[in-house]
Amino acid sequence: MRKVALRGLRARPLRTILTAMSVVLGVAMIAGTYVLTDTINRSFSEVFAQANSGTDVVVAPRSLDEDFYSEAAPLDDRLVERVRAVDGVAVAAGGIQGEVSLRDAAGERIGGATTFVVSLQPGPLDAFAFVSGRAPRAADEVALSAKAFRDEGLKLGDTIRIVGHEGARPFRLVGSATFGDVDTVAGFPAAVVTLPTAQALTGRRGEVDTISVAGHDGVAPARLRASIAGALQGERVEVRTGAQDAAQQTADLEESFGFIRTALLVFGGIALFVGAFVIYNTFTITVAQRTRELALLRTLGASRRQVLRSVVLEAGLIGLLASLLGLLGGLLLAPGLRGLLKVVGADLPATASVIATRTIVVALAVGVLVTVLASLVPALRATRIAPIIALREGLTAEARSGRGRIAIAALLCAVGAAFLGYGLFGGASGSGAAATLGGGTVAVFLGVALFSPQLVRPLAWIIGAPMQRWAGVSGRLARENATRNPARTAVTAAALMIGVALVAFVSIFAAGLSGSIDRAVDRAFAGDLSIVHKSFGSTPPALVDAVREVPGVAAVSSVRFSEAKVTGKDGTTSVSGIDPETLAQTYRLKWKDGSDATLSRLGSDGILADSSYSEKTAIGDRITLLTPAGKRVTYIVRGVLDEGSDFGLLGGGLVVPNARLAADFNERNDQFVFLRFAEGAAPAATRAAVDRLVATRFPDAETQNREEVKEAQAGQINQLLYLIYALLALSVIVSLFGIVNTLALSIFERTRELGLLRAVGTSRRQVKRIVRLEAVITSLIGATLGLVLGVLFALAISRPLEEEGFRLTFPWTTLALLVAAAAAAGMLASLWPARRAARLDVLQALAYE
Amino acid sequence: MHAARMTATTIVATTDLHRRFGEGAAAVDALAAVSVEIRRGEFTAIMGASGSGKSTLMHLMAGLDTPTAGSVTLDGVNLGDLDDRRLTELRRDKVGFVFQAFNLLPVLTAEENLVLPLTIAGRKADPEWLEALVRAVGLDDRRTHRPSELSGGQQQRVAVARALVTRPAVVFADEPTGNLDSNASAEVLALLRRAVDEFDQTVVMVTHDAAAAAYADRLLVLADGRVAHDGIALSAEHVIDVMKAVSAGDLNPATS
Repeated sequence: MRKVALRGLRARPLRTILTAMSVVLGVAMIAGTYVLTDTINRSFSEVFAQANSGTDVVVAPRSLDEDFYSEAAPLDDRLVERVRAVDGVAVAAGGIQGEVSLRDAAGERIGGATTFVVSLQPGPLDAFAFVSGRAPRAADEVALSAKAFRDEGLKLGDTIRIVGHEGARPFRLVGSATFGDVDTVAGFPAAVVTLPTAQALTGRRGEVDTISVAGHDGVAPARLRASIAGALQGERVEVRTGAQDAAQQTADLEESFGFIRTALLVFGGIALFVGAFVIYNTFTITVAQRTRELALLRTLGASRRQVLRSVVLEAGLIGLLASLLGLLGGLLLAPGLRGLLKVVGADLPATASVIATRTIVVALAVGVLVTVLASLVPALRATRIAPIIALREGLTAEARSGRGRIAIAALLCAVGAAFLGYGLFGGASGSGAAATLGGGTVAVFLGVALFSPQLVRPLAWIIGAPMQRWAGVSGRLARENATRNPARTAVTAAALMIGVALVAFVSIFAAGLSGSIDRAVDRAFAGDLSIVHKSFGSTPPALVDAVREVPGVAAVSSVRFSEAKVTGKDGTTSVSGIDPETLAQTYRLKWKDGSDATLSRLGSDGILADSSYSEKTAIGDRITLLTPAGKRVTYIVRGVLDEGSDFGLLGGGLVVPNARLAADFNERNDQFVFLRFAEGAAPAATRAAVDRLVATRFPDAETQNREEVKEAQAGQINQLLYLIYALLALSVIVSLFGIVNTLALSIFERTRELGLLRAVGTSRRQVKRIVRLEAVITSLIGATLGLVLGVLFALAISRPLEEEGFRLTFPWTTLALLVAAAAAAGMLASLWPARRAARLDVLQALAYE
Repeated sequence: MHAARMTATTIVATTDLHRRFGEGAAAVDALAAVSVEIRRGEFTAIMGASGSGKSTLMHLMAGLDTPTAGSVTLDGVNLGDLDDRRLTELRRDKVGFVFQAFNLLPVLTAEENLVLPLTIAGRKADPEWLEALVRAVGLDDRRTHRPSELSGGQQQRVAVARALVTRPAVVFADEPTGNLDSNASAEVLALLRRAVDEFDQTVVMVTHDAAAAAYADRLLVLADGRVAHDGIALSAEHVIDVMKAVSAGDLNPATS
């Protein structure tokens, strides 16, 4: 029996490969994700290990609470002296690591979007080796990592500008360095400067990120750690050995990249889900075609179990082949995924690809499991083939009543809808809600797929009607062929339906989001110009001070973001900082209880609460917060905003003056800077002046007027949208393999019929057209179902968001393009099967069997 | 008739076998009260017009179909008592099948097809028996050929050898020569004859070909779901005469 399965696969290599392809892509995505994220993690862990190679002990700020997203507040650099005084300490130095951007003399950016700034460490703590020139000594000296130095064609003595916390400053290039023996830091360029310079560039004067310690010879790091920890008792610090610190940093980073991994794995999962449909369909068809063969085996004494085993074995082997190909594909895909993420601004380091055992095990297990599970129903069906079928000419498996199937379909849809409802409205949050929504979506897809054979006839009738008119008999035959075996067409279409539904859903959702943001901007944007960081970062307060001096600028107001833990509330709450005196001149607040006059009464302990923060909050309430800086402060509610119900910038949480955000939260950087021009000032000239200032001193920032703000927001959404499209394309491609497979198998089945058609004078072109139109009908059925589901999903998810000002809009052009693309894809998938059908030798086709 | 009538030489016996297809007004009685015995070491041909019930009788005797009433005993086992698993084992160990067409798996070689029932059972072929079969089939030089590389007659001879490879209690052949020309037919029928004469096998063959039936020892003719004739098969001419008599309504039931 094993031999039969094996030989069967070998005798039909093309079909085997085609079937395997439907799983290969999903496995490749999963393997590629693991390879990519493992590679990123390895790169970082190497960097951390390298950075700590001469370090025995590291003192780092202790994070207050795991709920905080923001980093713990840096350490006071006076702690360094106390560490130095501890017995056994040879060298102790504060360190700064941050991000800056570099410009050459002409103002052009060098070294890419991400550039590290690292403070030079003394003696044994220094992880850099200077390959040319020397280490920086003066405040205006810098050494560059060797690769950037080389690639940018720089010379020692050149002047480059570093854009840091206080704007762009000129530096003299005095050296190039390798980090350990690598010419980058985690694949990125790095600027090495003295500690005071690094503090100035990162806006941390008097502070350090970490204190690195090297002990005297013979002092064990663990003992040194213990004595330093003892000396710093009561300080909010964590003391770790160098090795522990490297491990800890790696672990933190892996956690923060965890969501990228999860997101990519989800897309791999979707592709596998679609692949399962294709596998299911392929096995259903091949089992039906092999009915007599299986019946023969049964008459020869093969048990049901043996039949089951042979079909499942075949699936397992295909799965194994697919997994191996997928694993290989994953290796090739990993750099591509990295490139894709880079497009949306996530520049990640990558050294040589890391292939963990886990990657191999998961890829193989997932591929085999999905294939075997998908083949189980057809395999069980195969066991029900009665031996007597082998003796009966032309008899195939009996058509089964659809009643049970429809009942299961209805049940699945109901369960799926219940899950979706619970996920959206049930109050679950985070991964729980995501799992519920995911499970609900899968159930709905399965339910609709099970029900879809009922829809094939009417849909094919409608879709095929114009074809019959245009293509005459070819159209008619295509329509007949598509409805001849509704279950087969339905499952093929359902595979495409999944991809189309998800694409339709995200495009509708994104259009709604864009529209809602546009409306919010129109409502709130009351000034003339805004300034933001080009890549989602924040701008230094120096920018506000500088812009205020530009002639023609009447008011400058900035918005900062932080977070806090509110006593008696789970998780963290977002806290925004504003300039009470100027905000109303540039931003139109939406009030629930209060007015712009409230802003001037905010005082030093006043706070504004948004209605979406809590329904019950009222003026006069006291709110006690724990800030990321570790302070516990109590504010009095002076006004209630309604920003959250209208996509407002300040929605969702609490609002305090910027002065408080700096003092209590240690947040001094601005997320948005809004400008109002003076009455009578020429807008164009004023903007030009602001632009000049920003370009020279703060080249990482850019100015936007109201329309440009909207464009930028839409641009960001679209970038994410295109990333999702690209990832969903994988699932669509898988479903196209399904169409190819189904058509090829159907053509094999209809060999005699095609021969007959040709014999009575049908031309090759007409045969081709029949096959192609059948594919188009199938893909349009899938697109129709997918579109309907996508709209339903979008409607469902927009309901809870309406409270936050989300308004659904339908991007009709995009949706129409989607349907057209589905039809074109179906046509593409049918090219090869159509050619095969047209090439059939008439005589041979008629003599077949 | 009673099961007690079964003698030591009886290998298959049917008792009052009924088989009805369909329900209500559309119901058709394919078999009505058929009681026959197949004797060990005998070559029995079953004939009859289309719809006479000859195929149904064979399906029931082989346990491929379930009777509406009555019973089938094969090698001392009442088939009605067997569940699907035991029926499968019975087919595997005690019954050999030769069909009109599609007897061989296209992906296996001739020899692999030949030993397939043993492979399914997880057993090895007795080398001497295998050699004897291969020689009898006359395909010694074609062992590794695929069915598509064999002629129809060769394929059918492999199928006969396959039916014999487990040394079953009885071999059922359903129109084994239906797709063959007369030369190939003669070879296949000669092989079945040898199976009975030299290898001591029992063969039951359904056929509509008088020349084929003439190879048998015994001729059973069915008409309208009943046994219309039971006697010795002498020659093709004799068989034709019997068939003519049966169709003329000159019933000559159960002469055994």
